Amino acid sequence: MNINATLLAQAIVFIIFVVICMKYVYPQILAVMQEREKRISDGLEAAKKADDSLEEAKLAFDKELNQAKEEAADILKKANTRASQIVADASTKAETEAEKIMTSASVSIESETNRAKEDLRQQMSDIIIDTTEKILGDEISSEKHDDILKKAAKEL
Amino acid sequence: MAAKGIDHVVGAACSEPELTTNGYIQHHLTNLTYGKLPYESEVWHCNKESQVWDMPTIIPADTWTFAHGATEAADMGFWAFNVDSIGWSIFLGALFLGLFKWAIPTNSDTPSGLQNFVEMCIEFVDDNVQSLFGATNNKLIAPLALTVFVWILFMNLMDLIPVDFIPELAKYLGIEYFKVVPTTDPNVTLGMALAIVVLTIYYSIKIKGLKAFVAELTLHPFGKWLMPVNFVLEMVNFIAKPISLGLRLFGNLYAGEMIFILIALMLFFNSALIGMLGIGLHLVWALFHILIVALQAFIFMALTIAYLAMAHETEEH
Repeated sequence: MNINATLLAQAIVFIIFVVICMKYVYPQILAVMQEREKRISDGLEAAKKADDSLEEAKLAFDKELNQAKEEAADILKKANTRASQIVADASTKAETEAEKIMTSASVSIESETNRAKEDLRQQMSDIIIDTTEKILGDEISSEKHDDILKKAAKEL
Repeated sequence: MAAKGIDHVVGAACSEPELTTNGYIQHHLTNLTYGKLPYESEVWHCNKESQVWDMPTIIPADTWTFAHGATEAADMGFWAFNVDSIGWSIFLGALFLGLFKWAIPTNSDTPSGLQNFVEMCIEFVDDNVQSLFGATNNKLIAPLALTVFVWILFMNLMDLIPVDFIPELAKYLGIEYFKVVPTTDPNVTLGMALAIVVLTIYYSIKIKGLKAFVAELTLHPFGKWLMPVNFVLEMVNFIAKPISLGLRLFGNLYAGEMIFILIALMLFFNSALIGMLGIGLHLVWALFHILIVALQAFIFMALTIAYLAMAHETEEH
């Protein structure tokens, strides 16, 4: 435990180590740390920017969405109007058609009835003449008593 | 063993120094010293067979050699080197620089364990420099503080290795004395303090100018008419700083080492109980010592920064 030249040697070694540390070790580590610090702060800033733009995009998105909704509602409304119009048109048309069919049907029924009535009259008069002939012999001919027969047929 | 000590008498009983309590302690506190043994020094040898002291050899001329014990080391005078202290301190300093250099990665986005430790150290030191020194363009202060802190921390941490591990290993390799904690050698701590004094003087002159530096040493506290008194007072102040700096570190670590040695001695008692107690105490002291190890490294660093800050102060006080 004597004081000897170790003291000087240690002092010199110390200074050498400090110089090495100052030249080759400390600045490099510090540079790495500072670079990372910068990168992190840059990253945070970028994240903040991205956040902002996200907010903006959200706003734009909301706006577009609302617009689209409005448009959709509009289209829906128009479609509804159109549909009801189509339905109304169709029912009007159908009613007209039905009426037309009814009219033509009743016309044809009337004419059919008239024809049947005519037929019946003819047959009736034929039967009457036949029968009368049989009763009266040849005295009555259809030519001679045509007027009477027609009158009778009309009364039937 | 070598000495002109009182217990060295030719033919008197000698024993292996490690086998006595005193010898064990002495052995642990002796450095491996390389130096010049002066002409006519006596070298004593313990005869291993008869266990008595042989006639001492007289060195015929100045010889560079390793000292066989504390007295021989003392005989060597100033121009001797504690090879173990220097060796360990260089090894640990290189370990520090290597570790920190190696920890600098190319991709630093995800720092690993070691890099985190390194960055923690750097940030810690940087914070201290900022608070004690303030903003500075002096490129030396922070690396200096870092070197002081980590290097001393590493040297102090050697104290936590059980006291006999490395010396016993060294003994197998034929090295008789081997102290592993450089900071328990006052040469190491005072050597660092000396380097810091040199830096302090250098910066004082560089920043303030030689005239202001001399004025600072001579014109306070009593004004220019009592210049010699001022100088003596300021010199005491000036010299006391590095000496207290070096001795504080040395004293704390030396005392810690001493207690480890004393606790280790408990294992030599022929009692299992005392042995167990020794192991327990060893653990307790080691845990407590971690605090001292880190604290002393920090104090040395903080004072280094403070002294250099004083050297940079330009205003009158």
